[in-house]
Amino acid sequence: MKRLALFCFCAGMLFAQGPAARPAPKAAAAPSVTLAQAEALWRAHDYKGAGHVFETLLKAEPGNAQIRVRYADLLAEQFNAADAESLYQEALKIDPGSAKAYLGLAELYSEGFDELGAQSAEAALERDPKLYHADEILARIALEDNDLKKAASYADAALTINPDAIEAIAIHSTIDLLNDKPSTWLVKIGNRGVGYADIAAALVTNRRYDDGILYYRKAIAATPDLWRAHSQLGVNLMRFGQNDEARRELEIAYNNGYTDAATANSLKLIDSYKDFETFSWPNATAPIGILKLKKSEADALRPYFEPEMKRAMATYEKKYGYKMTKPVQVEVYTNHGDFEVRVIGLPGIGGILGVTFDNIVAMDGPSARDKTEGYHWASVMWHELSHVYVLNMTNERVPRWFTEGVSVHEETATSNDWGDRLSPNIALALKQKKLLPISEMDRGFVHPTYPEQVIVSYFEAGKIVDYIVKRWGDAKMVDMIHAFAGNRETVDVIREQLKMEPEAFDKDFQADLDAQYGKTVAGFEEWTKQMRELNQSIKDDKPPSDLLQRARDLEALYPDYVDAGNPYVMAANYCLKTGNKPCAMSEFEKYSKIGGRDLGAMEQYSSLLDEAGKKKEAAAALDRMVYVFPLDASLHEKLGNLDIETGNTSEAVREFQVLVALNTGDKAGSHYNLAKAYKADGQTDKAREEDITALEAAPEYRPAQKLLLDLSGDDGKK
Amino acid sequence: MKPVLACVALLAAHSAFGATYYLTVSGLGGEPDYEQRFQMLATDTDKLLRDSPGSDKTVETLKGSDATRAKLEAALAKIAAQANPADAFVFMMIGHGTFDGAEYKFNLPGPDISAPELAVLLNRIPASRQLIVDMTSASGGAADALKKEGRVIITATKNGSEKNATVFARFWVEALRDPAADTDKNQVITALEAFKYAQARTAAFFADSKHLATEHAQLADESHAGAFTLVRYGSAAAEVNDPAKRGLVATKEEIENKIDALKYQKDLMDAEDYRRQLTALLLQLAKTQEALEK
Repeated sequence: MKRLALFCFCAGMLFAQGPAARPAPKAAAAPSVTLAQAEALWRAHDYKGAGHVFETLLKAEPGNAQIRVRYADLLAEQFNAADAESLYQEALKIDPGSAKAYLGLAELYSEGFDELGAQSAEAALERDPKLYHADEILARIALEDNDLKKAASYADAALTINPDAIEAIAIHSTIDLLNDKPSTWLVKIGNRGVGYADIAAALVTNRRYDDGILYYRKAIAATPDLWRAHSQLGVNLMRFGQNDEARRELEIAYNNGYTDAATANSLKLIDSYKDFETFSWPNATAPIGILKLKKSEADALRPYFEPEMKRAMATYEKKYGYKMTKPVQVEVYTNHGDFEVRVIGLPGIGGILGVTFDNIVAMDGPSARDKTEGYHWASVMWHELSHVYVLNMTNERVPRWFTEGVSVHEETATSNDWGDRLSPNIALALKQKKLLPISEMDRGFVHPTYPEQVIVSYFEAGKIVDYIVKRWGDAKMVDMIHAFAGNRETVDVIREQLKMEPEAFDKDFQADLDAQYGKTVAGFEEWTKQMRELNQSIKDDKPPSDLLQRARDLEALYPDYVDAGNPYVMAANYCLKTGNKPCAMSEFEKYSKIGGRDLGAMEQYSSLLDEAGKKKEAAAALDRMVYVFPLDASLHEKLGNLDIETGNTSEAVREFQVLVALNTGDKAGSHYNLAKAYKADGQTDKAREEDITALEAAPEYRPAQKLLLDLSGDDGKK
Repeated sequence: MKPVLACVALLAAHSAFGATYYLTVSGLGGEPDYEQRFQMLATDTDKLLRDSPGSDKTVETLKGSDATRAKLEAALAKIAAQANPADAFVFMMIGHGTFDGAEYKFNLPGPDISAPELAVLLNRIPASRQLIVDMTSASGGAADALKKEGRVIITATKNGSEKNATVFARFWVEALRDPAADTDKNQVITALEAFKYAQARTAAFFADSKHLATEHAQLADESHAGAFTLVRYGSAAAEVNDPAKRGLVATKEEIENKIDALKYQKDLMDAEDYRRQLTALLLQLAKTQEALEK
């Protein structure tokens, strides 16, 4: 598979290393240069010189589509996808019949897993049926969709035109490898490293990272100056923490001009690993769990992340009946850009929060996400750790939709209020009947045909697994994991395990989905209209007299909606305005149970419960928020005080330890609170030490002085 | 906030019994919204200062049509005539400012006043401890002209180029009434504490609203700012004003100074010895405070 520049359409991808820019055109010159000169300079790796010649040629021959296409090919090879795309499009305006312009676009778009890749390849073939590389691109896309038959068919088409077409040979080899069969195609690759690199890339796309690394090594052995293979070997070694070798390979690529975003950013990320702290258990020499946290946040996050990771691993070990044979590692990033480097080049990464490479999980930490998102880090951790078990149980031979479905299912299986709710765009997709049949689920993850399809596919996969568990039980889900380990097709596993045809499953599943969401879907337009009206009336400070009832009707129509302007908080605020606190508490309670994650609303709910003397419930309301806002100092302070009041003194100690770790401006207050918690927990020596630390920062801090006198005997030495 | 250096602490302790002159001016708003906002901040500041404990203070506020250059000059001249070197002077400016690349001007109804002109008037005030808080847009452009030995200068912007209307003033006023600003919990909000509070909240304001920060507050002379009492609240003020308790107050201040001196030596001391001495002093201080409250 030929890989050009990384061309990612995902929002927010960081390019530490900018793509090669188009050189400024030199002053208008007579066409004393030729296309052949540009090609010669290009072959001699003088990309800048070639670029200047192309610019001169463009000026001299503005109506020449061929020059534009070749220049675009050069820019694409030099990681400037945006300018390359523009030039291909310009070429097509000049010559709509340019098959090579379509081919160039097909290559660019397919690199970004964009559906336009297939369309462009087909357009290229329409204009030149002998352009076999377009068939190879279509074969690659089919392979990514897990449609092996279609992939083989396109590869055959390419081989009919050119029996030595390297990517087509690599596609056939990959199909055999994915089927765990010895391949007779491999020998046809011979010493052409690019063929092995194409196999490696396809294996990585199928999450067969170990095999991918093996084939990148073969590619380099065959063609030592295949810099793309060095870069990708480095990227994939880094995914498994083999950072020394990863750095060496990345540097080889980079120093030889292969400076795409993946190479440059991966090198930067490796440099940043010194800022991480590693925690492992039961010990560092033979760990079963490894947690990597940024040093600056480690003390604040570890008290929550480590127990949650242990709990998830214990749960999965029991539920799946599988004990990991290698340590499980979770890396938590404070910067989404760093996290994105870990997933660069993988399909379906738009809006991704976590990723699993075999036994290693990389995920966004709370500070990598915007506070207003309500990012539930624990859901993400459980989701990814489920992948770790499923991928290991199946030796990574499991369809993407199924492992994602199990992971999404596990989020809410852990706690009803975790995971994602039915969002309006998913409700709309349900209304427009955009769900895929179970036999085609993978397509929705890899090559989405509409903007929200990846998210809709996650939802659908999760609901399918929910349905399987509801109808056949957890054991059936585990049986299916084992069945997929045999490298079976989805349709075969459905027939064998669920004893029904996939079409019949689709029908039953749809009926179950209708029972759950039919009302919401049917009333979606009315709900949207009513929501707009009510929120506008509040904005205008003219709420209708029947607001409470209307908000409750909206809750009943679409219970899952807990985002901005949701009817629960709207109703609760209305109740508070009319002085009806029990009514507000009841609304907040519904909001909390369904999974509402607005910190302000939950703090308000907790305060109302506290006022009503329901201290434990008040603490529980805030406890939920630790899974969303673990870095919010006031949350820990409130929770810690409630824990003391309710006798949960060890939890209080944890909350105030975290408050201290958060290093707020109020050092004295944080240490004093921790001293109080230690005292309540019976740890008076630690209480005294913390109190002295508080007083060191604020000697006149009266409550801390009183505590010190209380903790010290008459001689001051107690 | 306690200053780190013992000598500064002594200065603060010594000056605790001097008078404090407060002058707050809210300048020209230009638009009704700004006019109302600036005047409200000035009114709040005035009330906070008047309501804060302690009798040895003079509070004057100029706002709206009263905030003219002539009245400002008169108010400064009056303070210059009344204050003496043991006193403190706090001058707070709220509103718009301009900076043309060379000179900063505070916008007032009628003629504006430039930073060098203000400096001349301020330099006539004999109070040895002065705090100038210029919270206008482009206020950073005034800092150089207002500089003087012993004068703490706070500006809402880092230079004269930050020309957007500021939000710093809002959080500065909040700092004067929020005990959370009192990070050393001594019931005294110093200029440094108020600055750090307002600076942090201003930064959070821009971060929360997802806007690029258009102002970056600056403070010149952090050590003097840490010793500069801006407002007192709670029992601390009563202690200072109760002649019967001045002996205990003096003892308390002596222990505090010893604590400051000990903390200054911390890095040079054996950790255990430091902790032991610190604990003993903290216990003494706690007991003295207990006696003061009886």
